[in-house]
Amino acid sequence: MFFVTKARVSMSAAALVMAAVASIAVAQDKETVIKDRQATMKEQGKGLGAVKAYLDGKGDLAQAKTGATTLTQTTKKIPQLFPAGTGGPSPDGDYVAKPEIWTDWNKFLDAQKAAATKADALLVAVSGGDKTAIEAAFNDLGKNGCGACHTTFREKISK
Amino acid sequence: MAAVALLPVSNLSAATDELSQGAYLANAAGCEDCHTDREHGGQPYAGGRALATPFGTFYSPNITPDPETGIGGWSDKDFLQALREGVRPDGANYFPVFPYPTFTKITDADAQAIKAYLFSLPAVRQANRAHDVPFPFSWRPLQTIWKLLFFTPGPFRPAPERSEAYNRGAYLVTALAHCGECHTPRNWFGATEPDHFLAGNPHGPDGKAVPNITPDPQTGIGSWTEEDITTLLKTGQTPEFDFVGGAMGEVVRNTSRLDDADRSAIAVYLKSLPPIRSKKQNG
Repeated sequence: MFFVTKARVSMSAAALVMAAVASIAVAQDKETVIKDRQATMKEQGKGLGAVKAYLDGKGDLAQAKTGATTLTQTTKKIPQLFPAGTGGPSPDGDYVAKPEIWTDWNKFLDAQKAAATKADALLVAVSGGDKTAIEAAFNDLGKNGCGACHTTFREKISK
Repeated sequence: MAAVALLPVSNLSAATDELSQGAYLANAAGCEDCHTDREHGGQPYAGGRALATPFGTFYSPNITPDPETGIGGWSDKDFLQALREGVRPDGANYFPVFPYPTFTKITDADAQAIKAYLFSLPAVRQANRAHDVPFPFSWRPLQTIWKLLFFTPGPFRPAPERSEAYNRGAYLVTALAHCGECHTPRNWFGATEPDHFLAGNPHGPDGKAVPNITPDPQTGIGSWTEEDITTLLKTGQTPEFDFVGGAMGEVVRNTSRLDDADRSAIAVYLKSLPPIRSKKQNG
């Protein structure tokens, strides 16, 4: 009897420890996911920066092309950067990935696909080298790709 | 004879001009954003969008020309009175969630053009939803006192010593585009604080914080150039190559349709403002 009770106690203690470990793992995992996607977004910002530098005569075409290439790759991996359960404020408290991402997943995918298509168009324009075409593709990707998605699915927390 | 024959044509083109002008101005004023329940697939300008405030949730009214549920029965005078004085055709006061304290500055000609544009839109039959605002805030006569304390009616007055761009920017920011309605903090009575005009609002629409857009180097956009501002208004892109979202994303949809000259007028005006430090968030 005593033995059984003790075993039960130690079993539930073990379960508690495991649950605690699991929740820490999930929390850390969520933080890693958020950091990872913020890093990807920043990488996209740099890519756009390289294209803009070329448009402004402050950077060369090769770097603009590298930047645009990055954008074609990163915009395609956006869905995998948003696994379920990784919404809410970022660890540094700057941004909120809105719940609509997951409640309206197909709409989110449409927005992502639009951005990816516009990134492809930007790379085509950059490869062509015509500044007017590049600027048009750049503005289209920014406003109707990145901006459209942020309008619906992201919130900035101002400080 | 020739003049008589030409008259209807020029009247027609004047009317067309007024409509396209009205469409441009209604876009600059963002009428559609608050007066459309986009989240639930609502018809443009038919109202019903929920606007959460510290005083309760307001639902925007139908401003399509439907005579019964919209504003189809309004005279020009009714429309001007709503914008300039915050008073409904039946004499009741609007709540300042409708930004009449700012719209009072809109010129009569611009207001008439906006009305003409709204009246050219398809009428949508959709009854207005009652506001979900608790007593005592729901009590409209209280608004009379609020207006005595906080409302200064009167049109925009350009500063003659300033440039044309400055004055156009000032008109867009302080009247039509009503930037201060979100970017200026509010006092306990929900009135914007004039001494912190555009200096950021920790409790903006839907409880979200709205940034300081005065040239304060620490808490505002002092490091931004005029071009940084026009770029943001055109595509939503910040100097860090981020793209604004949320409510400002909706605003950028409108500002992206403005003329380059109007975007740069806004930038000229914002850059000329005195820098104001944001109030402390948890104060």
